Amino acid sequence: MPYNIAMVSDFFFPQSGGIESHIYQLSSKLIDRGHKVIVITHAYKGRTGVRYLTNGLKIYHVPFFVIYRETTFPTVFSFFPIFRNIVIREEIDIVHGHASLSSFCGEAILHARTMGLRTVFTDHSLFGFADAASILTNKLLKFTLSDVDHAICVSHTCKENTVLRASLDPLMVSVIPNAVVAENFCPLSHTTRLPDQTLSSSPDPPLSPRPIGPDDPITIVVISRLFYNKGTDLLIASIPRILASNPNTRFIIAGSGPKAIDLEQMLERNVLQDKVELLGSVRHEEVRDVMVRGDIYLHPSLTEAFGTVIVEAASCGLYVVCTRVGGIPEVLPQHMTTFAKPEEDDIVLATSKAISALRSNRVRTDRFHDQVKMMYSWRDVAERTERVYEGIIGDIRPEEFYGYYPGQGWEASGDRVRSFALIDRLKRYYGCGVWAGKLFCLCVVIDFLIYVFLEMWFPRANIDIARSWPKKPPAPKSRESNTSRGYR
Amino acid sequence: MTSPPSLDPFPPPIPVDTHPNRAPGSKSPEPERTLPDPDRLAPEDAYFAPSLSRVRSAPANYDHNLRSLDGDNAAHLSSAAALRKKLTGSGRRRKRKGAWKKLLWVKQSYPDNYTDTETFLDHLQRNPRVRPYDFWPLVADSTVIVQHVCSVVIFVCCFVGIVQDRVSPVSIVCWGSVGTAVGWILWDNWIWNEHAQAVQSAERTAEGDDGSSSSSMASAANPPANDTQPDDTKTNAIHGLGLTMSGNQSKEHLASPSTDLNESIDGVAYATAQTAVPSAPPSTIHNSTDGALSQDIPRVSMLSPRNRQRMTTVKSAFLIYFALLGLSPILKSLTKSTASDSIWAMSCWLLIMNIFSFDYGSGEGAGATTKFPASLSTNAAVMASTVLASRLPSTTHVFSLMLFSMEVFGLFPIFRRQLRQKSWTGHVVLTLTLVIVAGGAVGVTLSGGWAAAIIGSVLGSILTALVMGGCSWWLISLQKYKNVVIGPWDPARPIIRRHWN
Repeated sequence: MPYNIAMVSDFFFPQSGGIESHIYQLSSKLIDRGHKVIVITHAYKGRTGVRYLTNGLKIYHVPFFVIYRETTFPTVFSFFPIFRNIVIREEIDIVHGHASLSSFCGEAILHARTMGLRTVFTDHSLFGFADAASILTNKLLKFTLSDVDHAICVSHTCKENTVLRASLDPLMVSVIPNAVVAENFCPLSHTTRLPDQTLSSSPDPPLSPRPIGPDDPITIVVISRLFYNKGTDLLIASIPRILASNPNTRFIIAGSGPKAIDLEQMLERNVLQDKVELLGSVRHEEVRDVMVRGDIYLHPSLTEAFGTVIVEAASCGLYVVCTRVGGIPEVLPQHMTTFAKPEEDDIVLATSKAISALRSNRVRTDRFHDQVKMMYSWRDVAERTERVYEGIIGDIRPEEFYGYYPGQGWEASGDRVRSFALIDRLKRYYGCGVWAGKLFCLCVVIDFLIYVFLEMWFPRANIDIARSWPKKPPAPKSRESNTSRGYR
Repeated sequence: MTSPPSLDPFPPPIPVDTHPNRAPGSKSPEPERTLPDPDRLAPEDAYFAPSLSRVRSAPANYDHNLRSLDGDNAAHLSSAAALRKKLTGSGRRRKRKGAWKKLLWVKQSYPDNYTDTETFLDHLQRNPRVRPYDFWPLVADSTVIVQHVCSVVIFVCCFVGIVQDRVSPVSIVCWGSVGTAVGWILWDNWIWNEHAQAVQSAERTAEGDDGSSSSSMASAANPPANDTQPDDTKTNAIHGLGLTMSGNQSKEHLASPSTDLNESIDGVAYATAQTAVPSAPPSTIHNSTDGALSQDIPRVSMLSPRNRQRMTTVKSAFLIYFALLGLSPILKSLTKSTASDSIWAMSCWLLIMNIFSFDYGSGEGAGATTKFPASLSTNAAVMASTVLASRLPSTTHVFSLMLFSMEVFGLFPIFRRQLRQKSWTGHVVLTLTLVIVAGGAVGVTLSGGWAAAIIGSVLGSILTALVMGGCSWWLISLQKYKNVVIGPWDPARPIIRRHWN
């Protein structure tokens, strides 16, 4: 059966970024699969109220006080009345929150549980355990996830991290990777297949897959925000050495950030301006046009939950050199990547290896695009997310959804299917910590009282039901393929 | 089997595991070490320090470290461990289906929420870099704190003595200055001995390669040109400049200790200038630093570099002396409109701030000798002494107290640090002296007379020893609660050869 799903996050368009496009792509693919999806986010500058995006994706921009980097002020309860109104208007069954730093998402999950809805949470980032900020964030995440029905992580490393941070049952956490729109990231030689792109993106005739000779110039592309976490220091240290040891090599660096000055200083000191091209920040639509100018993509990041950009680079037919951190080792097969330790020497070595591999034509980069297209697609992500929805709603039996080990004693733990009884919820929150547990319980009780109050003063009967966007009838084929997609 | 049939037009990519720990041979079975309580560090871990820490930090040892966490996570993680135990039974079944891989790009025949018992959390490391403390080294290290607290106590006692008219401020400042002068002479000797040794060793290394000494100026002027050069290669010339790392490094090494005193004096002068009026023209201060830096060219100058250095120091000292002299009348009336109670409270907090933010580091790490008492700490101390000085009756009093505070808070820490590096006996003797003097001073301040001083010294020494021992033991016993969780989700620490400034 089709569900009514509300995606809740602080981060959505018009701001651009990984989480934003994840929500948008997932929502539109879910709509394609016959569900009804709305997005609830806070009001951005010049964007308040209700909007529709392509395919009838409805966006609620709720006016809210923004404190830092488009994150709303965590007020715990003040979001409840309007949230309840939206949820009733749209007849929502499932609330799906995104991003652990979004207070909107955390509050929405709490309120949704109070209202008796199923909730899903998607974690997009990794957090450590050491510093004070992480400890606070982890406590808040534990509050959010104590009562969530299911969590989704973008990589297995991210799953381990989330399980530890929020003390979750590992079987309640699914790993569903990000994806790329492969059509938007095709190499130059592919433009012939898409006639509409030939006009816009490549004025010069597409170069058919040509072998790179031993003396041909090799261009290394780096597209990242220039922050410490993205490994810009490593990049700065290794560029001169890579250029010195590999003649006929060029760099194209796109992105801006606080480390840009260091990068420019390095270029000036070593007089490398003619070998390194700095583009500044580029919009996401232009990323492909930058990538196809190169042969190697260098990604020296220090932490990364998934690393969509390396998939995009591989999809553009670039050979990827990246650091072995976070979830990156899981993302691409070995014939597309060279891994390096996050050390200057190792990055230089790995890049040199990659250059010589390309020069000797040992890498078939012209096949990368089609291979990546097979590996990652948003349709697949939507299918897998749909299975999570079915599992928590109960359309798939819990033994099948969680256990899958008949006769192993798994069906015994009943807490995986989260009951809505207040006392059970309080029990879950109480275990969050000596002081935090009591505080969380207090919050939950107050939230429940607010809910009762709202039900009395603004009864459901007085809230109009919004008309849905006229949708295409769900294709029966896809439903069948979903149920048959399985565990062969 | 695992790759979908739709990949037909291409050779199906073989799902080679790119996961670092699954590389063949990386999982060597470790000899299991039996610990009394495997989840926590026990106090006796301190005794097994070397072997234990090595076992724990060994990178191939992830499985061994896979234990459930304490505290909040305990419940769920132990359930994860239980889960693992339960799932091991179904191993045969899984082999038939093809092993699960920790990869995202390959479509696997497992549900998305499948948790692999072998690889789940296998990168988790608990307390990997914990270095269990030993009792006596810990006590020895705590002497640094004792020294600083004692010097603060002595300063406060001197102030009380001055306020109560028991001690003449001039005598205090005279003794202080004599001490400073002696300290400086000692310090000067050490530095120049070090210098001489360094020059010798530098010359020895420089003999090997030609032109390094002649280009020392150039190398000092543009160090970045060398940045691409690996440290250990000495013979490689770069970009036609003919510079070598060794020459550059030795120069840096020489220059750094000799600028120490000047920098610190500047720091003190700067702090004074901050607390009040535009005092010393900044250009002169800069000149003094420039003087210190310009001693890089020793062979060309007329004065010997050592004397130049001394001249600079003396110049700085006089500068501060006269600046203070000029400032004293202003400082005297600085807080006239403020009640004394507020002054006591404020100076109390400032001194506490000084003690807590003081840089107790041994200065043995990287770039150690150039690191100095953190400016926050020095500023707090100078401000405390400024507000205290403003309670004093005459300009002489104010001047004496301020000068004394500079000596105690600005210069004495440098001397202590150097002494600790130079001679351990000297360090211990200095600590003992400071403890005894501080105890005596407290005794005298509280009740007066020699008897009180002796009782104070004895009590103070005993109390200090007890506190040092007690705190060290407490810290060691607290170690078992240490629970650092490290895994692949932590931001990696980049290893870069040379830092770009």
